[in-house]
Amino acid sequence: MPANKKFWKQAFPIVLLTIVVAVCVSLLSYIDSITREKISAQEDEAVKALITDIFPDMSRYEFKNDIYTVYSDDTKLGYAFLATGKGYGGDISILVGLSDETTVKGIKIVSQTETPGLGSRITESFFTDQFKGVAINNVALSRDGGKIDAITGSTISSSAVVNAVRDTAMEKVKQLEGSD
Amino acid sequence: MGKFGKEFAKGIIITNPVFVLVLGLCPTLAISTSIDNALGMTLAVLIVLLGSNIIIAAIRNYVPNITRIPIFIVIIATLVTVVNLIFHAYLPATYEALGIYLPLVVVNCIILGRAEAFASKHTVAQSIADALGMTVGFMLALLMISFIRQVLGTGSLSVFGVDLFTLPVLGEHPIAIFILPYGAFIVIGLLMGLFRRTGVMKE
Repeated sequence: MPANKKFWKQAFPIVLLTIVVAVCVSLLSYIDSITREKISAQEDEAVKALITDIFPDMSRYEFKNDIYTVYSDDTKLGYAFLATGKGYGGDISILVGLSDETTVKGIKIVSQTETPGLGSRITESFFTDQFKGVAINNVALSRDGGKIDAITGSTISSSAVVNAVRDTAMEKVKQLEGSD
Repeated sequence: MGKFGKEFAKGIIITNPVFVLVLGLCPTLAISTSIDNALGMTLAVLIVLLGSNIIIAAIRNYVPNITRIPIFIVIIATLVTVVNLIFHAYLPATYEALGIYLPLVVVNCIILGRAEAFASKHTVAQSIADALGMTVGFMLALLMISFIRQVLGTGSLSVFGVDLFTLPVLGEHPIAIFILPYGAFIVIGLLMGLFRRTGVMKE
């Protein structure tokens, strides 16, 4: 049957491509099913490690409305949340810890793309340590009457962090007070 | 040297993927900021290139000409996604460091280039040799570039969290341009020029 043969010759590439895609999709869903748990555990672990940097005594946390409430056994240690600042080279993601509704416990830069050697120094402890124990209202650069010294040559990066921390903290505090 | 050895060796110098074929420059430029990244990217490329070369060489006689590119791409994309998931689950630090460039291995020309130019025309054994040779060539190129960039750009060298050395003056005042993207172009251009000038590698 030559007509039939011709049909097969034309259909074969489509059939083969379908088979290849079907095999690949099954393989992917299998790999996804065996790695999914591990990946979400990994992400949990990463969040925990970041929060522990600010709250060394943390034993567990609760996550609700984008705010992590941090506990050591049954004692509430404070809150943690993510803030995003517009830096010189892109978004700066910062984890902010509050010991109560008025005071910063500490901050940790989660990710940034600032200029290496200049703005990227916002990740160094000499800068982030300045936030420890500062009242939210005083989180501003010293030239604006606040308590944080900017990094020399990196005013944009420094003020991006400071403003993001202060503004997000005020917003979250409002949110916390509203829910009580 | 046997046939296997010949296919393996050519990828290292004669047809080095980065310096001679000038393939896969996007990840090369972007991730060559540290030795750790270079090794992570090499591992990803090794798995994907070896897998795609083996599969494509094995099915080469059944793949009709008109659908070969979609079939190659599906196979490569699947392998890249598998590598992506496995890295995310078991090598989270490498996964973070490579960022977008790990899923982008799918469009790395080395892989489709070798599938099209080599694996679809050669036996499985030869294709394995080709993949290994290309990966070693890619790794050596990446290591060279990232060594220079990391040492000059940060003033020190650390591999997987172990500090190997810190240079006296550069440690205090690193030449930050080498860590930035344009530093990659400078380093890669100078190395390529050096290899051409000395005749180690030819066009």
